[in-house]
Amino acid sequence: MIELRGVSKQFEGKRKVTALENVDLLVPKGELVSIVGASGSGKSTLLNLIGGLDRPSSGQIFVDGQNLTGISDDDLTRVRRDKIGFIFQFFNLLPTLTCLENVALPLHLRGWTRAKAHERSRELLELVQLGARMEHQPDELSGGERQRVAIARALSIFPPIVLADEPTGNLDSHTGAEILRLIHDLRDRLGATVLVVTHDAKVAESCQRTLTLRDGRIIGDERRG
Amino acid sequence: MILLRLISWPYVRKHLLRTMLTTAGIVLGVGVLVGMRTANETVMGAFQHTVDKIAGATQLQISAGDTGFEEDVLERVQSVPGVRTASAVIEAVAATDLPGQGNLMILGVDMTGDRSLREYSFESGDEAVIDDPLVFLAQADSLMVTSEFAARNHLQTNSRVPLRTMEGPKQFTVRGIMKAGGMASAFGGNLAVMDVYAAQKVFGRGRRFDRIDLAVKDGYTVPQVRQAIQKAIGPGFTVEAPTDRGAQFESIVAAHRISINISSVFALLIGMFIIYNSFTIAVTQRRYEIGILRALGAGRGQIRTLFLMESFIEGVIGSAVGLALGMGLARGMMGQIGGLIESLYGLDQPGNGVLSADPWLLGASFAVGVLTSMFAALLPANEASRVNPVTALQKGKAQEISEKETRLRGWAAVIFGAVAAGCLVFGAYRFIFYFGFLLTILGALLLTPTIALGITRLLRPLLSRLRPVEGALAADSLIQAPRRTAATVAALMLSLTMVVGFGGVAGASYHSITKWMEIALNPDLVVATSDNLASRTYRFPASLGEAIRKLDGVRVVQDVSAPRIIFRGKPILLVAIDITSVQQNAPRRPVQGDETTMYREASAGRGIIAAENLAELQHLRLGEVVDLPTPAGVLHLPLVGIVEDYSDQQGTFLIDRTLYKRAWNDDTCSLFRVYTAKGVSPLEVRQKILDRFGGQSKLFVFTNQELRNYILKITDQWFGMSYAQIFVAIFVAILGIVNTLTVSITDRRRELGVLQAVGALRNQIRHTIWMEAVTVGLVGLLMGLGLGAIYLYYMLEVLRRDVAGLRLGYEFPVSIALALFPVILGAALLSALGPAEAAVRGSLVEALEYE
Repeated sequence: MIELRGVSKQFEGKRKVTALENVDLLVPKGELVSIVGASGSGKSTLLNLIGGLDRPSSGQIFVDGQNLTGISDDDLTRVRRDKIGFIFQFFNLLPTLTCLENVALPLHLRGWTRAKAHERSRELLELVQLGARMEHQPDELSGGERQRVAIARALSIFPPIVLADEPTGNLDSHTGAEILRLIHDLRDRLGATVLVVTHDAKVAESCQRTLTLRDGRIIGDERRG
Repeated sequence: MILLRLISWPYVRKHLLRTMLTTAGIVLGVGVLVGMRTANETVMGAFQHTVDKIAGATQLQISAGDTGFEEDVLERVQSVPGVRTASAVIEAVAATDLPGQGNLMILGVDMTGDRSLREYSFESGDEAVIDDPLVFLAQADSLMVTSEFAARNHLQTNSRVPLRTMEGPKQFTVRGIMKAGGMASAFGGNLAVMDVYAAQKVFGRGRRFDRIDLAVKDGYTVPQVRQAIQKAIGPGFTVEAPTDRGAQFESIVAAHRISINISSVFALLIGMFIIYNSFTIAVTQRRYEIGILRALGAGRGQIRTLFLMESFIEGVIGSAVGLALGMGLARGMMGQIGGLIESLYGLDQPGNGVLSADPWLLGASFAVGVLTSMFAALLPANEASRVNPVTALQKGKAQEISEKETRLRGWAAVIFGAVAAGCLVFGAYRFIFYFGFLLTILGALLLTPTIALGITRLLRPLLSRLRPVEGALAADSLIQAPRRTAATVAALMLSLTMVVGFGGVAGASYHSITKWMEIALNPDLVVATSDNLASRTYRFPASLGEAIRKLDGVRVVQDVSAPRIIFRGKPILLVAIDITSVQQNAPRRPVQGDETTMYREASAGRGIIAAENLAELQHLRLGEVVDLPTPAGVLHLPLVGIVEDYSDQQGTFLIDRTLYKRAWNDDTCSLFRVYTAKGVSPLEVRQKILDRFGGQSKLFVFTNQELRNYILKITDQWFGMSYAQIFVAIFVAILGIVNTLTVSITDRRRELGVLQAVGALRNQIRHTIWMEAVTVGLVGLLMGLGLGAIYLYYMLEVLRRDVAGLRLGYEFPVSIALALFPVILGAALLSALGPAEAAVRGSLVEALEYE
């Protein structure tokens, strides 16, 4: 489902910084994987590369069987649009849109009609238990509710892959646990492959598999039951 | 479209004022374009319409500039085969003493022959009078007026109409009232017809006519007859169809038209600049939003289209409002353009207040507005489409400029600069010159971040000294975000560049004109035929000059004839004056040619002197033989000197009056330049002239100061537009700085929140923002003055090469530059007050959570 072969990423600047170095990884379909490591270990960079937000300096990345290396920017955008759902630590909701419109946005970008996009968005908001908040704007919601909207948005296209960057990092422990349950639940229902970047040991332990990164290398790969 | 509703509309709603200001750019551009052109077209159209109406069935008109020609030319024309009828005409604008009626266009015609050219239909009862033209002719005070004029002034047949003539105010008798419509509708009905020989006397024409109107016999073509006439009367005459007079009139106002075009282009450029600036800001401000959209799968094309659609809608709304504004402006400007033409050329504005809105102009202006808006948004839209979703979601990253980019910009600027310098060397070719001009501006824009940062670094110690914490924070904030700093600085720099350019040109023009007036316009008094020095309706007999010369206290009187003649198809001014007297009383150093030779040859009638602008516009070279058309044939005179002269925008030739009298067979005068004897008050002499001749002749006496004031008033009218441009450019500069600073500070709410969280006092935050704003203002101002100095050089060259042929001295507008310091720094400070308050008074928690 997701495969990385010898992937490295360097950032050019006043000094050259290596964020990832020669990473190999295989994540089968439907697996729930947590990625842990200290700040600057390369967790977010790994997620950005898999999500097609960034390009590797070397190596190859395959997502759902498609090689992302060397494809055009437009093709990379299509991969993001059709195959990947993002959940960010700071939610990244558009403050001027309602919850319903935020969730419908990726569908509009795929050219869905308003009625169809809203129908799907309503279903997803009901699923994340925000049926009563559809017309609210993000600043009228709590942190946990905002993250649930972001999750609904990530899932709106029924992506085969969901990438979550510290999804509970900005939430209290109780709300964090709720969000985690939701991610598990949705993964089970939709059968998506989920990669979660986290600092939270509880979140990491709740996943089938945990990858540990240090200085841009995978130094641990633990599988559970 | 859904993205427009979801993404663009909320942004527009949130930033309604900025959106309106952005759209105002296009409103302004389209408004000025439509307004100026419509006003111009209306005045021109009305003029052509009037010419056509007065021309009637006339197929050809013969003239010899303002000078007119001897009566015998009529006989020569009438004897040309193919001429069915030819009628002599005197055309003059005369002041009436009827309350509120102003001037009346007088057409002096020979009623015996003219009725086959023009249709005169009269109110009942008057036919009898005109049926026998001899009755009309026999009474020299006969006048026919239009029914409209008669109704306005309650005139009937035999009513008396006072008119100012060369012989003082005189009463004329209404012998016929022309029915409305046709010729009678010209000049809004302010038209009267009198006998051509009476008109000669009344308007001081001597035994000369202004024009001959003629119709062609059946079986002959107009070009055939035209050729035959030209052969019969010689090349000193202009033989043309009435429609060609419009073209000549257009040529007279060509400089004005160029000025209008420059203003329109300038207005559109400003509109484009405002839109570019606003969209660049919008892209910077919406990077985060764009980043989210890109992360969610929006393609580059979708982002680009989104911004272009926004600019399209703004363009459509702005252009529509601009059209309405333009029509309003046209109404206001019509009077100004008409007045300007009248004050310069003595022509009445013949418009009747109805705007002639050209659908093509409106359509084209609308399209230009929309396209300008989209073109201005193109670069920011492309920039938006290239936003990297990863860096867009990380605050601050977008503001950095990589070393590689700085190096590339530097090299590109160096190359542009070198090519621009090369273009100056080979600048004789117009395209190369303008290409160099463009490269210079582009090079400056490329270097903006580097220079802005350099100046900011230089200012840092000063800022730290003023306020150690806030000063350093302000400078560092600017240095760390070069892209943001450069955007504000570039906006300000370009606007101020234009201010310096326009201010410099206006200043140089004033200086040159004042200097010229000091030397050339030194008579103590000027005796003219009208209070409008440009009017050429009346002429003085030479005997008046003689009489003035005999008055006590008069030292020298210079007789001046200043007719407009056609030279190489352009109407130019011919000043005929005693050159020896000029050398003695108002000597001018030639800018080309030897002074002694110039005066010697010109005074002997063996040479001609040209104004510098005429030489420049017509590419005349010293020593070249100039062919001057006169009623007696072509005069071949070598160009013996080129002098600085601002008498006429089209250019001026100076010849000796003796030669003029001989070649044109005309000894009438347009004005007299009077030098009083030492110790005698000019005011005293003026009173003597008025007492002695005021009753018998229509004359106005100006003192030297009044003359100068009059010329400066006309100059002011011409430069009124420049001052408007300067104010608009300053307005744009202020708008730019307010806009960019507001965004810059709003963008940094989180950063400012962090500062407060770690212990910065509210006042420290305030002062930091204020100092930052003033620093940006200062950097933009310094760079604007620097680029403005170069821009001014190019503007003066453009003026010399393509606009007025004037070689103006380079003078940096120091007073304007100094005045800009408080204006711009004050505007910068004021624009920072609101955002600074918002930054310190808003919720700290919200600021830290911002985005």
